[in-house]
Amino acid sequence: MSTPALLQAIGISKRFGGLQAVLDVDLSVMPGEVVGLIGPNGAGKTTLFNMLAGSMPPSAGRLWFGGEDCTGASAHHMAQRGMARTFQITSVFPALTVWDNVCAATHRHQRTDWLGAVWRSRAYRDEQTQMSERATHALQQAGLWHRRHDVGSELPYGEQRKLEIAIALATAPRLLLLDEPAAGMNPEEAGKLVLLIQQLRDQGMAVLLVEHHMRVVMGACDRVVVLSSGEKIAEGTPKEVVSNPEVVRVYLGRETVHA
Amino acid sequence: MNRWQQAALPLGLLCLAPLALGNDYVLHMLCLWALYSLLALSLNIVVGFLGELTFGHAAFFGVGAYTSALLVMQAGWPLWLAPLAGAVLAGALGWVIGHVSLRIIGPQFAILTLGFGAITLTITNYWVDVTRGPMGLSQIPAFAVPALGWDFSRAAHMYPLALLLLGLVLYGCHALQHSRSGRAFVALRENPALAASIGIDVFRTKLLGFVAATALAGFSGALYAHYLRVITPELMSLSYMSAMLIMVVIGGKGSLIGPVLGALLYTFMLEALRSTGSWRMVVFAALLIACVVFLPGGLVSLWRRRPAQGKP
Amino acid sequence: MLFLQQLINGLANGMGYVLIAVGLTLVFGVLRIVNFAHGEFYMLGAYATYYAMSLLGLGYIPALLCATLLMAVLGVLANRFFFAPLQKEHEFTILLSSLGLALLLAHAAEAVFGADPKYLDTPFSDATFEWGDITVTQQRLLVIGVAVCLIVLVYAFIRFTRMGQMMQATAQHPEGAALTGIDTRFVHSYTFALACALAALSGALVGPTTMLFPTVGDWAVLKGFIVVVMGGLGSISGALLGGLILGVAEALGGSYISMGFKDAIGYAIIIAVLLWRPHGLFQPGAQR
Repeated sequence: MSTPALLQAIGISKRFGGLQAVLDVDLSVMPGEVVGLIGPNGAGKTTLFNMLAGSMPPSAGRLWFGGEDCTGASAHHMAQRGMARTFQITSVFPALTVWDNVCAATHRHQRTDWLGAVWRSRAYRDEQTQMSERATHALQQAGLWHRRHDVGSELPYGEQRKLEIAIALATAPRLLLLDEPAAGMNPEEAGKLVLLIQQLRDQGMAVLLVEHHMRVVMGACDRVVVLSSGEKIAEGTPKEVVSNPEVVRVYLGRETVHA
Repeated sequence: MNRWQQAALPLGLLCLAPLALGNDYVLHMLCLWALYSLLALSLNIVVGFLGELTFGHAAFFGVGAYTSALLVMQAGWPLWLAPLAGAVLAGALGWVIGHVSLRIIGPQFAILTLGFGAITLTITNYWVDVTRGPMGLSQIPAFAVPALGWDFSRAAHMYPLALLLLGLVLYGCHALQHSRSGRAFVALRENPALAASIGIDVFRTKLLGFVAATALAGFSGALYAHYLRVITPELMSLSYMSAMLIMVVIGGKGSLIGPVLGALLYTFMLEALRSTGSWRMVVFAALLIACVVFLPGGLVSLWRRRPAQGKP
Repeated sequence: MLFLQQLINGLANGMGYVLIAVGLTLVFGVLRIVNFAHGEFYMLGAYATYYAMSLLGLGYIPALLCATLLMAVLGVLANRFFFAPLQKEHEFTILLSSLGLALLLAHAAEAVFGADPKYLDTPFSDATFEWGDITVTQQRLLVIGVAVCLIVLVYAFIRFTRMGQMMQATAQHPEGAALTGIDTRFVHSYTFALACALAALSGALVGPTTMLFPTVGDWAVLKGFIVVVMGGLGSISGALLGGLILGVAEALGGSYISMGFKDAIGYAIIIAVLLWRPHGLFQPGAQR
């Protein structure tokens, strides 16, 4: 492979006191690729996810993002470099309108600040226009344009999840990390989610998603990584992984695979 | 902006009207209102924009006042430069205290700022050689333009200047709200983890806001010193701190007009109730409680349904 | 010998702080409320004792008991009207509400009692106990003695009685406690009553060693907070340790450095502690 990986994790491990949550995991995401991270509950997916996003430093291993060594870098550092993430418990800015929620997310693209706002400089006004454009685009992609005046905390659960995605999209990331985006979705919504992910991939964005919903994993992912008890036990295309006997063994008897 | 552009002219004229009355007493009250508004606006940056409760803010007001007064009286600094130095020193102190305290949140942050504020007050009280301790500084030179006959220790002259400065600071705060940093403040107030995940350096942004607030407090302190011409360590006391908080909370924290309204209410009600002695503070405290319980958004929320920042 | 003298004075003051702090930390632990008005109950306890003695002619001990009871009732009312309705609100709101209550009480006291300082004379305040070069007023010894007994009682109460265990449960898991049938509203009222009683008792005990003025509550609550935050919000043993450290440090620092800087010492200590251990010297909720 001549193209360097967008996200490269080698030997990532995490230890909490006596508990080894993640052990020696190698994971990579190429530009424009959709990678799924699956595994039974307690496999360490969320811990790994948080380490990749910068919310938690790894106990061992190294992490590169966009060719830069980002091991132990903070969440905002990763975000500044083009990584966006959603949270398992839906996370929005509750008191702000949907529009303001998404506008806030354009933070990393702006260079003008208070002085520009005071003088209303050319650069400032251009950036305000750009911010509007990005916000509009993100809301339309997430299907929330009609809700832009509503306050974040007043949205129903499903719309809040869409808002989360809209916020992530507004940062115009190179890599989007989704934490169980299909949780609580009915089949129709899940189908729309798969389409959205495919759309994003076609636009050149890379996506890494942690998911239990197998239809979404099968439909959206180019490659799947399987974690069990903190270790990587399989990797490959969705079809390969699903027919891998080790993977089947780890899932059977622990929980049913919902398709 | 349009709503404000329409209102600005009539409001401005309204504010200037008292000058025509020529009542020095009322004009003096209005000058105090304008200066307290500046102070309240500075506290609003921390309490309203950043969403952090601080109890040390009065200290920065005092630091600005003393710095400016001392620089002019002891070091012969020019009057137009000293207040800026007051602002800078207050901001620098704010940087040190903020750097040390802002990683800690919740009630511990409030206690820390309280502690720093109290220590600043104690130092001011006991460094008698420099600050003259509890006796304070008096005969502080006022701003003046002798050639034009302007003496800014007189209410009638100070009022337009104070109004002008208030207008400028209001515009500055408005610009802040619509700037990258201003939006970042709101984001980190609403959801710090999410703010970090969209690229906001929470600590540095908080520190920036804190320093801006303390510098502004210092500046208003300096203006206060050169207008009233007498200052004592009382400026840094808890009673000034409570007064500030009352202004911001009753007026409406997070908004721009709120602190100004709160300062107006405080200044005039305090005067109106002067004859009742200690009971006037009881009234204020009751108002504060009523506000907190029934009108958490402050007076401003009476006519505003939600704080709209931008329109698509 | 000066050292020992100051040490004992410091211990007496410290135990006074501990009594204030225990109430404060209980309210925080069980109700999750930072109560800025707590010091006002200290102040009112002292004033109530004063007026019970001067207006009603009661002896010191009966007056003290009356004051304590009165403040317990007042505490229940305060919770009912100022804090319970705001239960669901942001902690900022509750903090501001308690600040408002503190201002209200302090200034009402000034309006009603007058701003001039009062002196609370008790049978113990002038009598002294001498041991070598050390002179300690009996009042100070009373403070230490009563406070130690109370701490032990409170600790035992929380560990061993049903109400105490309900308080612990509510503190550790408010929703869980309610689900197991604990009447959390009653537990809250009880906790508040206990906390305010302790504060009032502290006021009645420590008041005679100095003078009374309406704003003494602000001073008291600040000391309380320094101790509570030092020891860890919610920890009684932390409050004990913190109070003693503060009392002794202030007494020693005050005599060896300067009386004027006495109060600043407390702030310097708390700043140092918070920067080193943001959650206090004890982990919150580790011990009760």
